[in-house]
Amino acid sequence: MGNSFIFKPIRELAGLIASREVSPVGLTQDFLDRLEEYGPHYNALVTLTADRALATARQAESELVAGRNRGLLHGIPWGAKDLLATSGGIPTTWGAAPFKDQQFDYDATVINRLEAAGAPLAGKLAMIELAGGMGYIHPDASLTGPPRNPWDTGRWTGGSSSGSGAAVAAGLVPFAIGSETWGSILIPANNCGLSGLRPTYGRVSRYGAMALCWTLDKLGPLCLTADDCGIVLEAIAGPDPLDGSTHAEPFTYNPSFNPGRRYRIGVPSGTLDEAADAVKENFEAAVEVLRDVADVEEMEFPEFPYVEITSVILMVESASAFEDFLAEGGPRELSAPGWHGRSPYARPAVLATDYIKALRLRRVMARQVDEALARYDAVAAPTAMNTATSIDQEFRSRSMTSAGAGDLMGSIGNGCGLPSISVPSGFDGDGLPTGIQFMARAYDENACLAIAREYQARTEWHRRHPGDLSQ
Amino acid sequence: MTTNADNSLEQELLFAIIKERYGHLLTDEQLESVRTAIVGQREVLRPIREYRLTNDVEPFSNFRPFRGD
Repeated sequence: MGNSFIFKPIRELAGLIASREVSPVGLTQDFLDRLEEYGPHYNALVTLTADRALATARQAESELVAGRNRGLLHGIPWGAKDLLATSGGIPTTWGAAPFKDQQFDYDATVINRLEAAGAPLAGKLAMIELAGGMGYIHPDASLTGPPRNPWDTGRWTGGSSSGSGAAVAAGLVPFAIGSETWGSILIPANNCGLSGLRPTYGRVSRYGAMALCWTLDKLGPLCLTADDCGIVLEAIAGPDPLDGSTHAEPFTYNPSFNPGRRYRIGVPSGTLDEAADAVKENFEAAVEVLRDVADVEEMEFPEFPYVEITSVILMVESASAFEDFLAEGGPRELSAPGWHGRSPYARPAVLATDYIKALRLRRVMARQVDEALARYDAVAAPTAMNTATSIDQEFRSRSMTSAGAGDLMGSIGNGCGLPSISVPSGFDGDGLPTGIQFMARAYDENACLAIAREYQARTEWHRRHPGDLSQ
Repeated sequence: MTTNADNSLEQELLFAIIKERYGHLLTDEQLESVRTAIVGQREVLRPIREYRLTNDVEPFSNFRPFRGD
């Protein structure tokens, strides 16, 4: 492969395909080769889906010859987090040894929709086992080994959409699909220097996706740019009779979205209190850049037990989703070396009234947060308080199920089902990326995408890629 | 209002339930981890239990009666 197509955003690749300068089959084969060669180096690949990808690519190519182009994703290969069901004998491992031979006889809706858009599925990508649902504190909690960060293979990618992050950051696929219950799209985007979009809950059908927490799980894209995220979201979003949680309205990406005035961005007070120096400096610099197009002011979310509410929902729903797995001793077969005070077996000890109370409080929380967000197009904050940690380092010393675990934006965003996009905001002294996230009101993906695009139009961070990979 | 002693008793009772259901699958060390986690959960639950809601606040979840075609 000449590497000339690596790290090109979707719109650019689509232009090359439309002008017949590159063929869908050639492009797909190039990325398949790259995924096969480098995927294992980053522990990013579970299964190469070459036959399936090439079949889709050949179809795309013959359609182009016949004068039909399905759109911007026509002929553009991609990777799927390995919790999306695939038919045809392709395993769906959920990143976990007990499920390494699992197969389904149907495809996830997201996979169907991307293939219907003409995009060849190049591979199933690595993930933290069961999307981290059994609790994990070490990066090696994965069937395919600790996911290695292309910026520094001694660091990890973040989880649980680890392979999706590594594969896009390493130029092994132009984009990938990940999932987020709490942090699993935004953190890999942060650690790998990518644009990652967590859509509004219900925006994207989860049919065929492993269920971890029914009222928290979302699927979304990890891409090179915010514009790419919008393109992919439009392809995968929309109502689906197979997933009752999906929103009735289709999503139309508006790459020209403009509120007709300066943007209004809120920054939660205290958001930098626990940030590492580089994260803080890069965030402050990003805010200065945004002042070109936005009025930025400090804001406050009402006092509320956000972390606790979202934690209880996560604990109980995950315990129920994996009730049989727990009862059969399944966690013993996982790769994670130990639970260290965050055992999944403690979760069934949450009383039903406490769970229902959390769901009742969620209603109050959602209204209060929406009221607080109504004054802004988006709320900005660092995506994570630090850059990628070492591959052999415990990354979270406190249990997510302990009070004060502290992820305010994550608990609000996921507890209320709000969209948020993370884009790179710079680097630390070790050359590792930092991220800034823009979180908007429910269903306002176009607003946070627009702000992210404005930011990327004024910065170059998203154009930087791990040094030895584009050669 | 519950006291610390009540809380402690509650955690012990909950631990006993978990041990009864899953104890045969877990080592002593893992059981101790469960006990620690249950204590952690108590801290998570405290503000939830303390928050007062009026009777009309429903759970934020959707139930729709089903009727097949």
